[in-house]
Amino acid sequence: MATSINCWKCLARPCATSSSRISSIVSSKPFSSTSSKLVGGPKPFKKAAPAGVKQNLRIKKKGAQKTTGRPPASGERKAMRKRIVLSNTNALAVPGMQEFNKDLVADMLEGGEEKKSLVGNVVVLPGETVDALRAIDAFKPTQGWGLFNKPGLLIRQESVELTRALVSAEDEKSTLRYVIEGSKGSGKSMMLLHAQAVAVARGWVVLHFPEAQELVNAVNDYAAIPNSNPSVWMQPTYTAEWLEKIAKANPILDTIKMTQPHNLPIEIPKGTTLGRLCELGVRDSDIAFPLFQALWSELNQSGRPPILLTLDGLSYIMRDSQYRNTNNELIHSHDLALIKHFTDFLSGSQTMKNGGAVIGATSRSHHPISLSMNLAITQALEKQQESPQTERQPFEKNYDERVEASLKDVHVMKLSGTSKDEARGLMEYWAKSGVLRQTVDERSVAEKWALAGNGVLGELQRGALRMRI
Amino acid sequence: MPPRLNLRAASRSLVILSRPSVTSVQPRIAQIVARRTFAEEKSRNPAPGPNQDQLPHVSEEAAEYAEITGGTKPDTSQGTPVQDILKRDQESTEKAPEIIREEIDPTSKSAADETTFANLLALGQLQNASNGEPVGHKFGLPTLPLPSNANLHYRYDPVVDQVTNLLMQHGKLGVAQRNMAFILNFLRTSPPPQTNPDRPLLPGSPPAYALPLNPVLYLTLAIDSIAPLLRIRSQKGAAGGGTALQIPVPLGLRQRRRTAITWILDAASKKKSRGSGKNQFAQRVAEEIISVVEGRSGVWDKRGLIHKSGTSARANLMFGQKRRRIQAS
Repeated sequence: MATSINCWKCLARPCATSSSRISSIVSSKPFSSTSSKLVGGPKPFKKAAPAGVKQNLRIKKKGAQKTTGRPPASGERKAMRKRIVLSNTNALAVPGMQEFNKDLVADMLEGGEEKKSLVGNVVVLPGETVDALRAIDAFKPTQGWGLFNKPGLLIRQESVELTRALVSAEDEKSTLRYVIEGSKGSGKSMMLLHAQAVAVARGWVVLHFPEAQELVNAVNDYAAIPNSNPSVWMQPTYTAEWLEKIAKANPILDTIKMTQPHNLPIEIPKGTTLGRLCELGVRDSDIAFPLFQALWSELNQSGRPPILLTLDGLSYIMRDSQYRNTNNELIHSHDLALIKHFTDFLSGSQTMKNGGAVIGATSRSHHPISLSMNLAITQALEKQQESPQTERQPFEKNYDERVEASLKDVHVMKLSGTSKDEARGLMEYWAKSGVLRQTVDERSVAEKWALAGNGVLGELQRGALRMRI
Repeated sequence: MPPRLNLRAASRSLVILSRPSVTSVQPRIAQIVARRTFAEEKSRNPAPGPNQDQLPHVSEEAAEYAEITGGTKPDTSQGTPVQDILKRDQESTEKAPEIIREEIDPTSKSAADETTFANLLALGQLQNASNGEPVGHKFGLPTLPLPSNANLHYRYDPVVDQVTNLLMQHGKLGVAQRNMAFILNFLRTSPPPQTNPDRPLLPGSPPAYALPLNPVLYLTLAIDSIAPLLRIRSQKGAAGGGTALQIPVPLGLRQRRRTAITWILDAASKKKSRGSGKNQFAQRVAEEIISVVEGRSGVWDKRGLIHKSGTSARANLMFGQKRRRIQAS
């Protein structure tokens, strides 16, 4: 801008920044007597369109808006989606809640006439249990943990039964084989979490497959175990990650030392702790599976704690996996080493020497259908109720012998809606947390209970806390 | 009356219809039939059907019979009761259904003497009362006055309802409700807002720390705090020379809220989502609501602008009235 105090003919407004004499002298633009708009001299004419090219009246669209700012890093958005929040500082802390510890487990089993039953109470998970359960991915983002001050767990009639079975397995050093079944939102994963909480409280070693589909949907590397016939396939990276979770969730492993000689690909001195063994496996995924086998055999020595082995989403492992063998045929899920390990114990062909439990929970959302698993569960339930057995459909071809063998004589826990007392206990906990702003009386409990399909917990929560506030 | 002798019916059954055993092929006629249109349909005689030429009604038949014999005709303009027919026809009485015979039977009891359901109910209630059981409604009467949300159509909070409807896209109310639930839960779990004294909320609002546990109030407070009091109506050509005249128009409560919600939704849709998944828009709306309460949102400027132009356009309020006055004088 050719502005200066000396410039009398210029109509441009004096500008504060360029008013100094020096700037006017230094100014590169030539003197002009025209208005400031044309100071820069006549602009060169636009080139006319070459002959033969039609001039278009259409206004050109601007291109896609340029994104500003840092784009999200890889995996950041998924991490946000899968983030698990276990506390809401806004919610009120409920006073007088019992902690889920060893004493409470003992109380749960007593439940005599003089002692008030714990069924229908919500108990709080202590810090170390929360840490362990978080390490094994037992919490899920859809379970609504983020609404309450502290993670709490409802004690149901079924969970008392499960606790009793777990404790008796520990006492008798037997292997409990359980399948948890039920409709969508009926609390199958929460029942699994209850079993894990009991195991942590009683000092068991807990191993958990949080999502069975991650084992079979061919997203991990895999290799045939050498000298196995028929081939069994290990998943090195998954095993390494799993060992990390195991080590994190079970601090007890740091106190147990190796006693047995093992034929391992690396030299491990005698007297190494099992925690250290896991750590070595995490570092090198190639040796993760042999180290896991060594860990397992060490845990089955006498004097070691019982083991809880759990899996969520059972129907995923009850069919062919999406991995392929050298002939480009689908590998059956039970030929994958980790799944084979689970199903060997579920079918009862192997047992845990120090007692323990193997529990599988079915999933009812976005699950593959396994006819044989459904049939086996139906038959097991009928056997438990001593009613006539359902037989195979005669013209159906898709039954799987291996699946039926793996679920033979397994105990099935069928979950359905809660009782009204349990629903009331839960709703009172919600009201005390300040999350449910409603009087909890017989009428409101009956209403919510009925609307939730006779007390299906997921629906109860949806109706009271999520969709209708 | 003599027994009915239906000669016509008897003769009808003896009619011999001449029907060729083999139908001759008539292609020309078939072509015509194929060309027949709907309009022609009515002009032609319909083919004889099974219900054609049926017997006349009993009374009509009796009237015809009486005309022939010269007796008194029954009135055919009215229907004849079955009882009347049965009275004059002994044979039919015997063959009549049992229920009709019972009705005709003079020895039977009258229906009024029988115990009705209502009588039984009253008797049962009397018996209950004598046993000391409560009499009346099984589930009790509702306490009056009925709460405002007792009506099916007004069962949810009005603000939540309005926001849900404005969130809705393509008529998918269920999705909108899910988004609404996400927004309220987001407000419930996010830390209490830091209010800005330069952007005062509605007077008498609860302290900020109390808001998250009452998400509906949180939402209502945010919306009502930024709801404009008026809108600017542009009266075309009223300012002269084809220029529009700005006239401030006061808004009702629902309209004010609607404007505020629309502003919030617009601001949210212009934001960029940081995560992934299906609740991204709901999350942006919830973040916008928090920023409104914290005074960071650009919606406050929109409100200020409307109010400012409303104040400056106050002079135009009398626009319509002035004109009327001029016309009157």
